[in-house]
Amino acid sequence: MISFVAFSLRRAWQGFWRNGLMSLAATATVVLMLALLAGLIILLTGLDATLDYVQQEVQVVAYVKDSATAQDISGLEASLQRMPQVTQVNFVSKDQAYRDFLARHPDEADVIESLPTNPLPASLQINLRDPNDYLDVAGYLNGQPAVDRVMNIQQTVDQLVTVIGILRIGGTVILIVVGLIVLFTIVNTIRLAVVARADEIEIMRLVGASDAFIRWPFIFEGAFVGLLGAAITIGLLFLGQGPITSFLSDYFKVLPVEASATVGQNVALIVLGAGAGIGVLGSYLSVRSYLIR
Amino acid sequence: MAMVSAATPGPKPSQTRRPGERPHDAVSTRVVLAMQGVTKSYPNGRVALRGVDLIVPEGDFVFLVGPSGAGKSTVIKLLIRDEVPTKGVVLLDGRDLARLKRRDVPRIRRKIGIVFQDFKLLPNKTVRDNVAFALEVTGARRRDIDPAVDRVLQVVGLTGQANQLPGQLSGGEQQRTAIARALVHNPRLFIADEPTGNLDPLISWEIIQLLLRINDLGVTVLMATHNAEVVTAVRKRVVALENGRIVRDQTGAAYHRED
Repeated sequence: MISFVAFSLRRAWQGFWRNGLMSLAATATVVLMLALLAGLIILLTGLDATLDYVQQEVQVVAYVKDSATAQDISGLEASLQRMPQVTQVNFVSKDQAYRDFLARHPDEADVIESLPTNPLPASLQINLRDPNDYLDVAGYLNGQPAVDRVMNIQQTVDQLVTVIGILRIGGTVILIVVGLIVLFTIVNTIRLAVVARADEIEIMRLVGASDAFIRWPFIFEGAFVGLLGAAITIGLLFLGQGPITSFLSDYFKVLPVEASATVGQNVALIVLGAGAGIGVLGSYLSVRSYLIR
Repeated sequence: MAMVSAATPGPKPSQTRRPGERPHDAVSTRVVLAMQGVTKSYPNGRVALRGVDLIVPEGDFVFLVGPSGAGKSTVIKLLIRDEVPTKGVVLLDGRDLARLKRRDVPRIRRKIGIVFQDFKLLPNKTVRDNVAFALEVTGARRRDIDPAVDRVLQVVGLTGQANQLPGQLSGGEQQRTAIARALVHNPRLFIADEPTGNLDPLISWEIIQLLLRINDLGVTVLMATHNAEVVTAVRKRVVALENGRIVRDQTGAAYHRED
């Protein structure tokens, strides 16, 4: 068993260097594709974080009639809090709304200060467990006499969910296409290696070598290509770590710095796994079709 | 099998056999190869063999002769299980080759040593490594490889050339390397497919002498050849194929029909 593994590894190593140029070309393709994979993962991670952030921020805002009494409001607050879809209810009074407005728009302070009364309504800001529950809560609020109107942000939420869904599906499709291209490249490279060793394989078959002895050196060779490609990709990502991190925090703003270390680790693991996996699968396929004639 | 332990090829194989092995004479009735009613037709419609019956007892030396296209190659392909018969049975060492599971095919091929006209050596490996390759790729233990290689190199008389590359050898030496490689698994049946086709008459004769010596050591030999001179001179069993049929099976015969 040990001698089998040693034999296979030795032959794989020889095979890799014998077809040096082809092996390097395959490795370069792997690097290209893995870099794309890593980029997509990083992008999707950023988008996911953005989605999480936005979903957390999705609030139902219900404006309360000026005529509503404090009892109406606390009753409404209590009944909202009993709803399973609701995580948190905040009451923003007219005064609070006025102060918030001034804080947000200091330039327009004189406009609002010139008004005889405070035009801003009190509101209830309701955080949801799941943004899809928006309609339930909004519908309930619309039926309440104390509620003036419910702000319609349903459309915004829908659009965001749609966009992220499309990006995720699109990313997955691109990944699959890219994966297939890498697979074909590796299948081709290994098949060239197999053809270059046709004499040896013929002799191996004649002297009674089992299929495993013929197959595994090539599978290891494919794994070499995949792992070398993964190592180079990870090296490149490591070098580009600074720009990538600042891109993540600048562009998405929401990704905490601690998270990007975990993201980096996950990306490295996925790149290694994908590299080795695709190398092994590619050579398995190419040797398989050669052995079963 | 006794032959690989022979330091020099002795005239009596019984003197060199290892403990526990059956004496040469006692097993001479055992059948190494049996073909019964074997017909082989290829997908293109060509019928290569028609109802061939052939029994080869252990220790036999058989010349397989016949014109090109008579079916010699097909017989060999059936024996190494590159092909399976369309009809009939091929038994090697008692096992029906057509019924072998895929994973058992390599195991049965280790019972066969085969050499060809074109030697099929690996040009970038030394003589020693070419022979060792057959053991390496069949999972032999590392410490068993060197002694086994030394033994067969001694049998074929290439101990001195062990570290040369095939390109540095004469044709005869290359064929002897191939023979050493074919012997290193202690085969039950040694097949030589036109082994002298690329060699001049003197060297051919050396190769025949070597095959006869190997046969003396107890290995069953089947040699397909066109070399009428050799067949006639050696006076062993001759099986002649023509149009896929055995037209003659005689011991001590000449290449051509003596009638």
